[in-house]
Amino acid sequence: MKKKLLILPSIFFFIILSIFFYLLIIERNPSELPSNLLNKNVPIFETESLFKNEKFISSQEFKNEIILVNFFATWCKPCRDEHVYIKRFSNKKGIKVIGINYKDNSKKTIKWLKNLGNPYSDVLIDKNGRVAIDWGVYGIPETFIVNSKGIIKYRHVGPITDEIYKKINLIINENE
Amino acid sequence: MKMNNANSFILKRILIISLAFCITQFFSNISYTVEPDEILQNQEYELRARNISRNIRCMICQNQSIDESNASLAKDLRILIRNKIKEGSNDKEIYKFLTDRYGDFILLKPPLHLNTLVLWFLPFILLALGIYIVFYHNKKSR
Repeated sequence: MKKKLLILPSIFFFIILSIFFYLLIIERNPSELPSNLLNKNVPIFETESLFKNEKFISSQEFKNEIILVNFFATWCKPCRDEHVYIKRFSNKKGIKVIGINYKDNSKKTIKWLKNLGNPYSDVLIDKNGRVAIDWGVYGIPETFIVNSKGIIKYRHVGPITDEIYKKINLIINENE
Repeated sequence: MKMNNANSFILKRILIISLAFCITQFFSNISYTVEPDEILQNQEYELRARNISRNIRCMICQNQSIDESNASLAKDLRILIRNKIKEGSNDKEIYKFLTDRYGDFILLKPPLHLNTLVLWFLPFILLALGIYIVFYHNKKSR
């Protein structure tokens, strides 16, 4: 019986060890948080547009086409880094790119877009961060893919890299 | 001998001071970052807001509540909670509003679901198992 009791903890220990080992070798980023909005409808919100005089009403805009939503700000350095990729998306056919300008100065944003190029078909103003809360955003830049039925299919936190660019392209092709 | 007495006196003092320090740290509730302009006039509302904020995780700092964090998102959420209270939302509605957007992760205490059962009950199961093994072992060795 004593021997049996000794074997049990060692088996238990090895099970725990292999779980830890498994978690180490699989590809995952523990700091990446799951999005609660995946496969759900786009949040309902209304806000001003930077270049258009009319109000942006989400329930009227998110349908019929794939939309890439990108939260950005001029004060955010990674946003500048990923800007080339956003421009590439805007050149792609069958997809609309909307920017949400997070807690920023409108004048600075206009200048920023003039210098770097404006890939957005519409730039929405989120002065106090309230729209970002509706999207469950916790750190910009963040990028969402919304399919033609108005359902969120993908979310990426952080700047778009080469790898993420390819991944997003795959998702867009899947949803076309 | 005299030296020894003095030493033990100092030692006792240090012990008492550190004990007092530990106790005050244990009960103190001063670590919050609510800014004066955020505080609601209605004390009952403010108390509710504080209680909710204490259970809401700051998504940026992750191991702090929004009541303790000075991240800008934490401030936004504190203001949002207070606005919701003023608009007449109850606590349940506010928690639902936040978890709908940020998921259960925003709650510092994970709720009891089917997929969190292990998280909640494994410690008790292991404790029971440990007690059983100790008792069984004792009985045998006697």
